[in-house]
Amino acid sequence: MAYGRKSISNRLSRYVLLISAGLFVVVTLLLGFLTRRIIERVSEAVAAKDLELAVSEVEKVITEVERAVDNVDWFVERNSSRQSFMTEATRELVSANPNIIGSAVAYEPYYFPRKRWSAVYTYIDAETKELKTIPMGNPDYDYPQLDWYRVPRLHDKPMWSEPYFDEGAGSQRMATYSKPLRDTTGRFFGMITSDISLEWLAGRIRDIAPDGTSYAVLVSANGTYIAHPDSTKVLSQTVFDVTAAMGDSTALAMARDMVGGKRGSGRFNGGSSDDSYAAYGPLSNGWSVLLVRSYASAFIYLYLFNLFLALFIVLGLIGMYLGCRRVIRRQTMPLVEFSQAAMTIAKGNFKATIPPVKSKDELLTLHDSLVYMQKSINEYIAELKTTTASNERYESELNIARGIQMGMLPRNFPQLDQCSLNAMVQPAKEVGGDLYDFLVAGDALYFMVGDVSGKGVPAALFMAIARAAFRFIGPLGLSMAEVMSRVNNCLCDGNKNEMFVTIFAGRLDLKTGLMTYCNAGHNPILVVPAGGEAYFLHARPNLAAGLFPDFPYQGEELLLAPGTRLVLYTDGVTEAEQSDHSQFGEARLKEWAAGLNPAVSSGSATIDLYSRVKNFTRGADQNDDITIMTILFDKK
Amino acid sequence: MNVTINEEGSRASVRLEGRLDTTNADQFMKDITPLMDGNHTEIDMDCTDMEYTSSQGLRMFLMLQKNVSARGAKLVLRNMKPHVKEVFDITGFSHIITIL
Repeated sequence: MAYGRKSISNRLSRYVLLISAGLFVVVTLLLGFLTRRIIERVSEAVAAKDLELAVSEVEKVITEVERAVDNVDWFVERNSSRQSFMTEATRELVSANPNIIGSAVAYEPYYFPRKRWSAVYTYIDAETKELKTIPMGNPDYDYPQLDWYRVPRLHDKPMWSEPYFDEGAGSQRMATYSKPLRDTTGRFFGMITSDISLEWLAGRIRDIAPDGTSYAVLVSANGTYIAHPDSTKVLSQTVFDVTAAMGDSTALAMARDMVGGKRGSGRFNGGSSDDSYAAYGPLSNGWSVLLVRSYASAFIYLYLFNLFLALFIVLGLIGMYLGCRRVIRRQTMPLVEFSQAAMTIAKGNFKATIPPVKSKDELLTLHDSLVYMQKSINEYIAELKTTTASNERYESELNIARGIQMGMLPRNFPQLDQCSLNAMVQPAKEVGGDLYDFLVAGDALYFMVGDVSGKGVPAALFMAIARAAFRFIGPLGLSMAEVMSRVNNCLCDGNKNEMFVTIFAGRLDLKTGLMTYCNAGHNPILVVPAGGEAYFLHARPNLAAGLFPDFPYQGEELLLAPGTRLVLYTDGVTEAEQSDHSQFGEARLKEWAAGLNPAVSSGSATIDLYSRVKNFTRGADQNDDITIMTILFDKK
Repeated sequence: MNVTINEEGSRASVRLEGRLDTTNADQFMKDITPLMDGNHTEIDMDCTDMEYTSSQGLRMFLMLQKNVSARGAKLVLRNMKPHVKEVFDITGFSHIITIL
């Protein structure tokens, strides 16, 4: 049987899949968060390490330059009075130190008599790559007024200049180290300098982080960029320009901190979606190195990792779903078999085999329940068969009894000159308790209608006794009161069950039309005179027969005019009910009589009344026997 | 048919409600059995809400009446609806059973 998507295995597998997927999502998110934090920490550690590397790299250059100058200045100082040493010293510095691209020695104005400018500058010619030495100082280049000379002199100590673009001999971006010169008496007499190329310096720190995830920046003492991956910023912008543009207060604070010569680190947002990390540290000459590392570049690996993880999880979930479904399907296979077996049983094959179960779990319980149910059903069916058989026997016996009872009621209705009679009984159950009887003896018609209390076989038996008694006693020539008394005594004899029967019995003299009658607790009969209004004959009720022996029944008499019709009935007629319990009633009976054609035969009248009653009940259950007898006295 | 029996010492007040016909006559017999065990000297039945009785029902009343008469006790039916009373009258049961 194919249950398709609605099978238990599919449903359970889907639940497992959903729960697992949920768990995986939570774990993945947690893992992603932790990994992110770890990567950030690692990133920061790498940045700190790269910073140290950059600091030491630049520091090395600075130290080398300073040391090189230190190595030659004593030589100049010893020979301060000899101008020729200037050229020697500068050429020595430039040729011996690859870091140094130019060097100058400059004397104080008029240190030599009548000479305002006394200075030389040695540099490497950009085209010939040869050393060139040129004199310095003229009205357009009054060096004592320039920063590289003036500032260290003012502070009276060696100093690095701010970076600048040299439009003179070097024609490039550079920074200059200037050291004051003193003669043997300690008097200041000039300045010795060395230039380093900023392009070259930038190249040294550019190699710090070759993977491109971070970059190093060199900043002067007042914040101007000395080296930056974006060379347009060099000399033209300061860290304050850039951080102010970011609008990040942390970045600005860090910039101040850095230019103030401090060491530090922090996180900032440079405008992109991910934050960056900055680490900075001072150099001995007042400059600072800044290392910026973008987290995003490191996160690329995290995203890749997450992508693979998601792929693996999806594959794993699919595998788990398929596996779960397979296992559950196998485990619940007995359920499918059980449902098939149950369906087979339900369709009527009660001997169907219930599939066996190997496991000792709920399935075994279900199996045992099914087996037990099957056993109970089979037992019940066997029992039902026996019961049905015996019921069928009772039913056939009841049918026979009904035949016997109906056979007792005479059907050879007399068609005399003076009168016609017709009657019918429609029992509510198979065997009823109503009866009628008639017989013609001499010039008289004896007739009776009775209603035994209750229905079924007991009522039928009691009715048989009543009918036999009437048939025997009726034509003896006694008064109807006497007939009723004797019938009553007959019925009282041995009546232990308090059964009783209401009887209307009468004798009609066919010559005179005189009816003598006795009513034993029966409904009043309807008298329909020819051309007159029908009325109920409210006879003395006496008492139903069978209750008290020797009850003094009293008879009455009525003279019938020719054409008079008598309608005898049991309460099955007047108490015939519709489904809402409204009854046919005496009024409708009277109404029927009024509309009846006076000439119609007794047979037709009987059938007509019965069909009127049936029309009234409209198919509602008949709850009492219906008996109708009509007599038409028509003395010709 | 609903039968409610209230016992006050040897007196029983009974309230009858609904229809008494062939379908529930046996149940009615069971319901009134406690009235036939001889404990009550006076049985008072209120028939205000009795809608109908069949001849089978009459038999039940008769059996109760005979039981009550045999031990010298009293049975009274009260407030019977006219169409129900008519059944008792027609069959002559009004002669045997006290109906007020």
